[in-house]
Amino acid sequence: MLTTAAPLVFVVDDNPAVRKSLGRLLALAGYRVEEFASARDFLTRGSPEGPCCLVLDVRMPGLTGIELQETLAAAKRRMSIVFVTGHVDVPTSVNAMKRGAVDLLTKPIDRQALLAAIARAMAKDAASLSEELRVAEIRQRIGTLTIREAQVFALVVTGMLNKQMASVLGVGLKTIKVHRAKVMAKMRARSMAELVRLADAAGVHAGVAQAVA
Amino acid sequence: MLEERLRFETLLSELSAGLIHVPASTIDAALERALQQVVTFLGVDRGNLDVYEEVGRGARISWALAGVNESPHVLDDDQFPWTAKQLGRGDIVRFSQVDELPEEAAIDRASYERAGTRSKVCLPLSAGGPMLGVLSFGSVRSERAWPAELVERLRLLSEAFASTLERKRVELSLAERLRFEKLLSSLSTAFSQLSAGDFNREVQRALHRVVDFLGVARGSLIEFSRDGGTAHSWAIEEWMDVGEFPWMTSRLQRGDFVSFSEFETLPDEAAVDRRSYLAHRVKPQVAMPLMAGGTVVGGLVFSTGDTERPRSDELVLMQQLQLLGEVFAHALSRKQGELETQRLRQELTHIGRVSAMGELTASLAHELNQPLSAILSNAETAQELLAADVIDLEAVREVLSDIVADDRRAAAVIQRLRILLKKGDLDFVPLDVNEIVGEVAWLVKSDVLIRNVSMRLELAPDLPSVLGDRVQLQQVVLNLVLNGLEALRPPPAGPRSLVIRTARGDADAVMVAVEDSGTGIDEQDTDRIFQPLYTTKPEGLGMGLAIARTIVDAHGGRLAAANNDQGGATVHFTLPARRTDEC
Repeated sequence: MLTTAAPLVFVVDDNPAVRKSLGRLLALAGYRVEEFASARDFLTRGSPEGPCCLVLDVRMPGLTGIELQETLAAAKRRMSIVFVTGHVDVPTSVNAMKRGAVDLLTKPIDRQALLAAIARAMAKDAASLSEELRVAEIRQRIGTLTIREAQVFALVVTGMLNKQMASVLGVGLKTIKVHRAKVMAKMRARSMAELVRLADAAGVHAGVAQAVA
Repeated sequence: MLEERLRFETLLSELSAGLIHVPASTIDAALERALQQVVTFLGVDRGNLDVYEEVGRGARISWALAGVNESPHVLDDDQFPWTAKQLGRGDIVRFSQVDELPEEAAIDRASYERAGTRSKVCLPLSAGGPMLGVLSFGSVRSERAWPAELVERLRLLSEAFASTLERKRVELSLAERLRFEKLLSSLSTAFSQLSAGDFNREVQRALHRVVDFLGVARGSLIEFSRDGGTAHSWAIEEWMDVGEFPWMTSRLQRGDFVSFSEFETLPDEAAVDRRSYLAHRVKPQVAMPLMAGGTVVGGLVFSTGDTERPRSDELVLMQQLQLLGEVFAHALSRKQGELETQRLRQELTHIGRVSAMGELTASLAHELNQPLSAILSNAETAQELLAADVIDLEAVREVLSDIVADDRRAAAVIQRLRILLKKGDLDFVPLDVNEIVGEVAWLVKSDVLIRNVSMRLELAPDLPSVLGDRVQLQQVVLNLVLNGLEALRPPPAGPRSLVIRTARGDADAVMVAVEDSGTGIDEQDTDRIFQPLYTTKPEGLGMGLAIARTIVDAHGGRLAAANNDQGGATVHFTLPARRTDEC
């Protein structure tokens, strides 16, 4: 079904009335909605595939909203968060925003403000998602490199000359040139600059290459 | 002669032995029997035992042969001045014929002749102290001699009578004193345990008991207010409207006794009072001012009305009245004091509640925000639903019913706030302590959340109920919980936890404890934490625990605090379990 493409909103709030009303409002606005009564319940659910965001109550018994944000960050889980709170306290709000929250809304929550925040959160998530996909794609390309090619890839993006690489890897200059051409082709890089950007995105650096060597 | 003496000795020892073992209540009957035996033995016509009393005539026990008139009272100063004087000196009066009486006894002689007395012997009765009475034997049908030997034996007999009379007097006065002590102690006990609400009933009961004890007809207690007016009066028997007795009232207010045996003797300025006494047919009256702390707090009035019942001992009566007066004065001042403290306490708890409200405002705003937020979201959803081309009425209906439910939730929050802010009279009803703890836990739920404290309830099942004021007891639990939360403010090393526990205390008590994992109470502060205005919080009023203790005290309970072995402190209070026979 095509509707599976509908973006997913998680609502985590310990107050059942708030949870239900938000869920209903968002469903009517065209989102798929999953509701959770606590941060722990939410954590038991695996990472979603498609675009999604989280509407999260700041204060809850047990794991608080802020603590959930920290936990997700530590686990490097992609998640755009719109915080909602009944009690605004400045230090907590600042902290939440610094850690990358999209917005922090005060209850009672205005529908327009909520939908706008969720739209921004979805956009942010989409961006992260495409970035994630791009990195996965680059990694996949790296995966096709031989060990020697990977070493050359790691060293060339640090700006090392062919002669230096030959010396470091203990092979001939000609061999280096062949590997280098193979790397450019397999990584589908049209220029040296593009190869460097791909390496950056995939987190490849000289250390890795030396370790591999 | 010897035989007669022996018979008399036998009679005397029999009488003495018989009288010694007689209980006080049947002494009169025993004395009468003894008197009859002696009269018969002596062969005289009549015998009398007159009990002497300073005021008026005392009791008389007499025995006379059939057809013989009772003899007149020899202690009557008017009829027998000489005889009374002799007897008063402890001398025996005897004559075989009235002519033997001396010149100065002319009045006596005439009185004896009028009564038909021809021979007489009168023996004063004394048991080593003042004269108790007179034992006399008289002959009307013939003259008879009173040989010295016989008089001597009669004197021995009179000693037996005297000691019996003395024993009766002592036992009766002892019994009366005991009765009085008992009355006094039961009255002061009743008054000391009195709450303001029971005052009227208890005063009526006390007045009845005092009136019964004193053997008077009427009694009333007047309360003077601090501004000098008459605040209230309680009375037995159509008595008394203080407005009818302005003179007496003003005398009492000045701290004077108003005591009279006949109201006609009252001065002219007491004209209004005299009319009222006449209308109420009051005869003797005693009114005493009630003093407490140097001021006249009221008056205690007793009067005998129509039925005159003379008191033998004015001095004893005054002492008793004084003691009774102290008890009533104490009761009045206690009542006034209690009303004052009760007002103060209500004032204090109100302040305490309002300040607690201040501390709770943030969390209550949060509590209200939840339903309000749900209402707003639902209402906006309903608008969206209604804006659609095809309206899903079922969905709209569902949303509206949620709005109604959430609105009720919001109203419930406000309702609870109102209850907390209520500054009402105390209402003692049977209460479930667990329910009170639950209500307070509900109230502080958000506050606990905001402070990131884990709160746990450990409620004992099947607790007996307690008698108390719901709002005040909620206040106590609330104060203890807020206090515990405050103790968790400086982040303790371990988890921030608060446990509210209920349990059955010992000796039919119910216990509520609030345990925190905070820093505990400084040793040097343990005595001071319950004092008013003692606080460790910069923004605290220092009233929380003081108010809690006042309320718990008023409920007959105890509030105490101690540090936990594993860190933090526990403040707990006990309340007496409601006995099943209480309302």
